[in-house]
Amino acid sequence: MMRTYAAILAAVTVGLTTPAAAHHAVGGEYDPNKPITVTGTVTKIDWVNPHARIYFDVKDATGTVTNWSVELAARVVLERMGWNGRSLKPGQVVTVIGDQARSGAPMLNARARENRLAQDGKTPEEYPITLQDGTPVLNNR
Amino acid sequence: MRKLLVVSVMTAVCVTLLTQSASTQQSGQTVSQARRLGPPKGPVPRLPSGQPDLSDVAWLASGGNFRQHDALLLPAAKAILDKRDVTQDPHNFCMPDVVPRTTPFPIRFFFNYTHKTPTHMVIVHEGNIHSFRQIFMDGRKHPPELDPTWYGHSIGWWEKDTIVIDTVGFNDKAWFDGRGTPHTEQLHTIERWTRLDLGRLENKVTIDDPGAYSKPFEVTINATTTIGDEVMEYICQDGNQYGINTLPGSPTK
Repeated sequence: MMRTYAAILAAVTVGLTTPAAAHHAVGGEYDPNKPITVTGTVTKIDWVNPHARIYFDVKDATGTVTNWSVELAARVVLERMGWNGRSLKPGQVVTVIGDQARSGAPMLNARARENRLAQDGKTPEEYPITLQDGTPVLNNR
Repeated sequence: MRKLLVVSVMTAVCVTLLTQSASTQQSGQTVSQARRLGPPKGPVPRLPSGQPDLSDVAWLASGGNFRQHDALLLPAAKAILDKRDVTQDPHNFCMPDVVPRTTPFPIRFFFNYTHKTPTHMVIVHEGNIHSFRQIFMDGRKHPPELDPTWYGHSIGWWEKDTIVIDTVGFNDKAWFDGRGTPHTEQLHTIERWTRLDLGRLENKVTIDDPGAYSKPFEVTINATTTIGDEVMEYICQDGNQYGINTLPGSPTK
């Protein structure tokens, strides 16, 4: 499956970035020029390495529900920051900002974007995941 | 009078706690907070025998700047580097990283002893893969014929306060870095690990690969130690969905 995309990826690799704590360059998968913001209801938390992932249902204007996912840092990184597998629970409503998958799939990477912003000294308004009351969750700390 | 005594003792305890070195992980402080305060300060910790204590969790930085040695690459090796598709890095598929490549995940040294003499040293890697390197410390030599492996065959010994690790028998599959810097089965590495003080570890690595480079060179890996941290479980194959549904042209469902 990977080899099928090798030729396409050759052109894409030029713009790869390597975020400080990522274990691989994610620019090939997620487009740093395509940050988007989505709000939805958490359905599942995948508390794993090498990337924890949050799944959430997003309802569009027509009422159609799509399940989105956002890729975060490794579980070990998040735990060393004081987060755990219960920091978010299914049913909570979150607003997520991340780079979208180059395939166009409903998949985001929040970590790469957060690292870029941190390098630029951005302010806390740019937290990747926030609850409805504005509380950030699962962010770098 | 008794209340005054209790209050004085409590105050003294609080003052003592507050004035402790801020760069050692305190209870209530996360590991990432402790790391941001910088490496703990103090002399090299030693075992009762006088040998440097290498037992703390260590974080490697600067995984060896190979780009600066590109000019030493032989034409065939340079051609491999130029052709490599960075998305196909074996690291992305949970394969081992070979010395001196580093990851954001810590390592820890463990020694196995018979009586007083170490027989094996094991370097446990938390990630990128949850693996270990085995270094034979019993004075044996490298076998004359070796079938290549990812981590190679390592022998080690102390030279004063430095652990020396000599490794041969590597396969050519791992990449030295995310760019795809190659090596061959002729790779021979010599690492010199020294704990400089309580918070700093240094590894000077000689890279000697006559199949890929015109001459040997050295890279230096700096590392910091944290006190009170543990190696955590990191099973790369668990949630590794690298490339699944995210790459251009892949199905979006």
